[in-house]
Amino acid sequence: MTARVDRFLARRARRVPAWGRPGQRLAAVGTATRRGFTTLVEFAAFAATVVALGLRRDSWRLPVRATFRHAVHDLAVRSVGTTLATGVLLGFALATQAVYWLEATGQTGLMGRIIVFTLVREITPIFVGLIVFGRVGTSILIELAEARPKGWLRKIERLGVDPVVLLVMPRVLGSAVGAFCLAVVLVFSTLASGFLVARTLGIIAYSIWDFAETVMRAMSVLDFVVPSIKCLIIGFAVTLACCATGLARRDESEELQRVVRSGFVRAALAILLVNGLFDLIG
Amino acid sequence: METTAPASVLSLRQAAFFERHLAARPVTVDLELGRGQLALVEVEDEIDAVALVDLCVGLTLATLGEVLFLGRDWRTETYRENLDRRGRIGSVVQSQVWPAHLSIAQSVLMPRLYHTRRTEDDVIAEATVLARRFGLPGLPVGRRETMPAGELVRAACVRAFLGTPDLIVVHDAPLDQIAELAVPMAQALAAVQDRGGAAIWVTDYAGVPAARFVAADHVLRLGDRGLVAARRRG
Repeated sequence: MTARVDRFLARRARRVPAWGRPGQRLAAVGTATRRGFTTLVEFAAFAATVVALGLRRDSWRLPVRATFRHAVHDLAVRSVGTTLATGVLLGFALATQAVYWLEATGQTGLMGRIIVFTLVREITPIFVGLIVFGRVGTSILIELAEARPKGWLRKIERLGVDPVVLLVMPRVLGSAVGAFCLAVVLVFSTLASGFLVARTLGIIAYSIWDFAETVMRAMSVLDFVVPSIKCLIIGFAVTLACCATGLARRDESEELQRVVRSGFVRAALAILLVNGLFDLIG
Repeated sequence: METTAPASVLSLRQAAFFERHLAARPVTVDLELGRGQLALVEVEDEIDAVALVDLCVGLTLATLGEVLFLGRDWRTETYRENLDRRGRIGSVVQSQVWPAHLSIAQSVLMPRLYHTRRTEDDVIAEATVLARRFGLPGLPVGRRETMPAGELVRAACVRAFLGTPDLIVVHDAPLDQIAELAVPMAQALAAVQDRGGAAIWVTDYAGVPAARFVAADHVLRLGDRGLVAARRRG
């Protein structure tokens, strides 16, 4: 009995006015939505700033050009191994799943279209985004997350150098170019390994030229343009998300692990958002 | 139309010093640093010293009064204009802090290459000469983690004096204690003064070994009444 009374009193003590709890919940949803929307708007403004700075001839001074070259090299050259390995694994999946099932169901005529729809339009941009994050995004994120707490961001400003021009703009644009290069490598390596695996396993019997022709015939002009733009924008967005998240860290009180986690979530969201927007448009 | 260079390189006119640590009320600061002049400013508190340096280089804007660099108030210019103007200031501040993504050599050269259209070879040649003057075997290579603190101080000096800065700002505790740098610092500062530039050295004690041979036009001390004339000791 006493326990029931205690529970009743405890419940009563916790009780809030009738409008309070639903109101509070509504407020919480509103706060989260507004915060998310504000972050999105800030991100868009940051992206616009980077593009605007990139279009200014004055921004491309010698150290900025060097950072851009370094960013492109980091991705387009030093990440080729990772991309080739990813392409081989994807090609294996392509052969054992898509090609196999098309053969099994007697729908080999759809092979070219399936490859274009899944590999070129969807899988490649997403995987390129993940490679960009893994190869350069994390290092940029950690480096910039330490810039303010360690004092060198202010130091750069003290030297009269615009941190966005030196640290963000060339890396973001360099990553966009690098992502495009990686997409080309990924598509070719996936197709080549997919063909080789399918041929070795006896799933298909025709030559590589017939296979290439099947794929090419299924591609329209837009299939050359849209996935390329998608990869450019994904490379841009992933690196921008990493830069924005890293630079937002004010001091050591904010854990670095938390910043990296947050950067990953934002980069993944950026990949999916760009991909989704292109799917909606296209 | 003929334009004349402003007489003062740096002017602090009733500039409010709100950030002054341990002060009961805001302190206003007055300082006129003409061409060829050097001021040695004693500031006991580190937070105050950094705030004063930031006020001088326009990184913190004065909420009251004005801070003019080459005759123009930091507040009236845009962010980008201020960045470009800051490129005319050489600073030896926080010599142990270096950008993580650059080697020491790149960090030394970067501000000059960013603010001027000089070729890389030209800047490297000038930096190498300066590095030897400051006791380094050449332009320091390697990264911040692998270099001794003393070499980082010297590298910071090379970066500050590279090019033809109009103003030199010095505030660095490790530098203050290196007596071997007294002569090269005095020579480098004298060269800046001869060229029509100015310098401000902010330190906790005007008699620090590195500033021993520096010929100061003003010796000041930051107190509750702002910057007041002080006697050089040591």
